[in-house]
Amino acid sequence: MVERILFLVFAVLAVAGGLGTITRKNVVHALILLVFTFINIAAIFFLTQAYFLAVVQILVYAGAIMVLFVFVVMFLNLRTFQEQEQTHRGQRWVALALSVLVLAEFVIILAGITFTSAKGGFTPEAVAAAGGSTRVFSDALFNQMLLPFEVASVILLAAMVGAIILVKKEKSADVGTRAWEPGAEPSAESAEEEV
Amino acid sequence: MGATPADMPIPVDWYLYLSAALFVVGAAGVLVRRNLFIILFSIELMMNAVNINLVGFSRFHENLVGQNFVLFTMAVAAAEAAVGLAIATTLFRNRQTLMVDLFDRMKG
Repeated sequence: MVERILFLVFAVLAVAGGLGTITRKNVVHALILLVFTFINIAAIFFLTQAYFLAVVQILVYAGAIMVLFVFVVMFLNLRTFQEQEQTHRGQRWVALALSVLVLAEFVIILAGITFTSAKGGFTPEAVAAAGGSTRVFSDALFNQMLLPFEVASVILLAAMVGAIILVKKEKSADVGTRAWEPGAEPSAESAEEEV
Repeated sequence: MGATPADMPIPVDWYLYLSAALFVVGAAGVLVRRNLFIILFSIELMMNAVNINLVGFSRFHENLVGQNFVLFTMAVAAAEAAVGLAIATTLFRNRQTLMVDLFDRMKG
């Protein structure tokens, strides 16, 4: 019973934070409300006994990714956009109506479904007996999911390289053209200048 | 409320309703707002809604694959945030704005 009350509290706070995120004019305020939402979602993970994921949610999402966002928001100085119109003039009411319609569809469909558990065997008691949720989680990750795990590291590497290439300063001498074409080897001196 | 295992304190439906609500909030943010950053935040919100679904069903079906999948979702979200922010930085550098309806140079 306590779990249900806590779940409801965290769920309401998470949705409220989400609504605040999409309604704030100030990007930094929206970002802080988004972090608030993520922390509430981490609390829901705790309630679900997904302890490792709850910690990762706080460390990676509310920590690393949001710090990246804060850094770029501060870096770009977006204060000037607060005076501009924040929503699409032509489509905002249609978009809101469609969103409410989709939510109604979700609720109607979910109200008509009864789920039956597949009983995979990893009950909290079994997990605790096998050495705790993090140990069981990592066992599953590095046995069944090893190949996807390695692929995820490649995705992160590609994203890192892509981000660096995208934000790399163009050579100031000829702004219109790239310092080197994609696919061509950068010359040694241009590589030195870009560092 | 749907059927739940005897030891699951929170019905799985609750996770699904919460997830649907967060997802719709994120979708509304993408559709309504003009600011590229708010659109990126809304996409993160939708990804988190999916994560709630996965964790809830992982608990419900007593299977850890759902939780493992959340880790991959987070990796993809991190990659998406990095590339999205890089694109935003480049756009801002070239056009001095981040209002997405102004980026219509490729309109036919």
